Amino acid sequence: LDYEMGHWVASLRSELRELVAEHVPVDYLGAFTADPADLEIAQAFCRLLAERGLLCMAWPEEFGGRGASGWEQTAVREEMWALHEPRGAQYMGVNWVGPTIMRHGTAEQRRRHLPPIASGEVIWCQGFSEPDSGSDLASLSTGARRDGDEWVISGQKIWTSYATMAQWCFLLARTSREERKQQGLTVFLVPMADPAIEVRPIDCMMGPHHLNEVFFDEVRVDDGAVLGTVGDGWSTVQEVLAFERVGIARYARCERLLQWAPVALGDQWADLPPELAAGWARMLVHCRRSRLLAYRVVATQDSGQVRPGDAAAYRIAVTRLDQESAEVLMDIVGCASLGSDEQRRFARAVEDHHRYSVAATVSSGSIEMQRILLSRTLLAAS
Amino acid sequence: VRNELTDEALEYGTLVARAVEAAGGDALAAAAEDDPSRRRDLVWPVLSELGAWELEPLTSADEAEAAAALCRAAGRWALPFPVAAHLSRPAEVDAEGAFVVAGARPAAPLDGLGGRWVGVTLDGDVADIRARPADRPARKSAFVVELELEPTGLRAAPAEVALAVALPCWSLLGMLDRAVEMTRGYVIERQQFGQPLSRFQSVQFQLTDAEVERLGVEELAKYSLWSIEAGRADALDDALALRLAAVEAAAVVFRICHQLHGAIGFCDETPLSWLSRSSQPLRRLPTNPAATRAELGSRIEGRGLAGLYTPEEARR
Repeated sequence: LDYEMGHWVASLRSELRELVAEHVPVDYLGAFTADPADLEIAQAFCRLLAERGLLCMAWPEEFGGRGASGWEQTAVREEMWALHEPRGAQYMGVNWVGPTIMRHGTAEQRRRHLPPIASGEVIWCQGFSEPDSGSDLASLSTGARRDGDEWVISGQKIWTSYATMAQWCFLLARTSREERKQQGLTVFLVPMADPAIEVRPIDCMMGPHHLNEVFFDEVRVDDGAVLGTVGDGWSTVQEVLAFERVGIARYARCERLLQWAPVALGDQWADLPPELAAGWARMLVHCRRSRLLAYRVVATQDSGQVRPGDAAAYRIAVTRLDQESAEVLMDIVGCASLGSDEQRRFARAVEDHHRYSVAATVSSGSIEMQRILLSRTLLAAS
Repeated sequence: VRNELTDEALEYGTLVARAVEAAGGDALAAAAEDDPSRRRDLVWPVLSELGAWELEPLTSADEAEAAAALCRAAGRWALPFPVAAHLSRPAEVDAEGAFVVAGARPAAPLDGLGGRWVGVTLDGDVADIRARPADRPARKSAFVVELELEPTGLRAAPAEVALAVALPCWSLLGMLDRAVEMTRGYVIERQQFGQPLSRFQSVQFQLTDAEVERLGVEELAKYSLWSIEAGRADALDDALALRLAAVEAAAVVFRICHQLHGAIGFCDETPLSWLSRSSQPLRRLPTNPAATRAELGSRIEGRGLAGLYTPEEARR
């Protein structure tokens, strides 16, 4: 057994922390606020990471990355999420849109899309969910019909994060009706600047930019927009989801806020009800538990194996941790009189964490879907 | 990061589990319950053949991992001898084994065991133990008796205390392994309303909740063992963190496994009934879950638990 990540990962963490300290304001709570300056901070930070070869370090060398190990990627995920994701929406392009284009894209698609992602210049959104197709994604009905040399896309997507700021959409649409609903789906890479696309923001508790409706009204694209094989989009999307198997390192932000709490409260920590202080300790244990469950997945992937049940177990544990830690932290904040600048920053970060945590068990595959996945592997195992 | 036990340790655990099964398996716990004075003799020879009693977990990482695998296998069968306590005896103390003791009414599962056993506090003080006579049959006490402690003036090293906290959690993990396995098998086989119970989503979801808890304990158990092996200063914090998660997980896992077994789970013909009762000392002693939380909370106050951020780093 050995839980040390080694010198290189430690220095990578230090580098990332130094960059954040230098380029991201201490009161930064993410790119998605009502203040456009926060988005610009994220975009500038991404360009900086790109210049230093840190944005796409997991990519293969032939596409401008340096084939970083699963543990290096883990360190980046942890550091970025802990510090309120100063990459903004870029993780989507970097973590899975880019790799999927590398795998299934034509030479022209690679040439067109990969360099802007690698340099942190472009934002992607994901056109998956629809009003009647949430967890049951394969039942989606947004259609793309053939008209001469073109495809004509019509339909509605919903819950689409970053659609107001994205330049491109990774869109899943139905190109034919087949026996099984998973058949006849195709992935399109669609420019969001098309006037036949309308984005309507949905006000929500996480703040601006998180949820949108996107309407496609006879959007015309050519064959160059098709990613992979027509009708085989479902298997492409399954691969996409596999890239994100570990998902967000939610435990890192939980741990940072919990570790910050006693320092932020100072002398007032001693006045906390003993049950709350014990609950704080319990949450730190749960942070470690989730982190180790994530490492279980990373270690398996690093050795070239896939155990989908482990990834689902991690996501069940970490999304619950997100919500339970948010409750404990809100209670801690509620017990103290927080007057100093640092204390107010702490309280704002906790409040932000709490609002985000509400969505943790719903977004990117609900906890029920994770349970279905885990029970499938559990019951199928010999 | 290497987060799996060595192949040798895993293989050793498998050998132990097979040997115990060949020696009677669940029948060993039943025999000991009928006559607690047989506890040692039922187990000792079986594990002796596998060199279990020569293991010295604090001498090398290999021995520590073998000891952990041994304790886990012992838990699978609810072995009626405190293997973890035996392996946790401090080097400087000539004793059969060491139990961590705490609270105003210290207790340990010592009914029927002879020889010298010692108690070790979380602060490392070693006490001689005089076990009071059992006031209930083993079936109800799970061999637990109250203790009178006599200070020896001896001290256990911090790593020894951490080991004495962590190894029993490996045994509890073995119990959780078996409970989940048995429940999985049961819901696949048992038919109601014309289909296996495993087809019902409410059943699937309960089983996954139990599995997530079990997996979490497994990962924390390995981390704690590494912390001890590596001689880390906060090994006791890590062992208590493991214990906190393990006792909470045990409550969830046994509740779910009993529920999914239905009435058959209460019957002595089902090993779950034995596992569930045998798990009680590991779950309640030396501290119950609430006291474990409070203990960890007060120990790590101000510095938190080692991880990605120290308190100072966390403030940015």
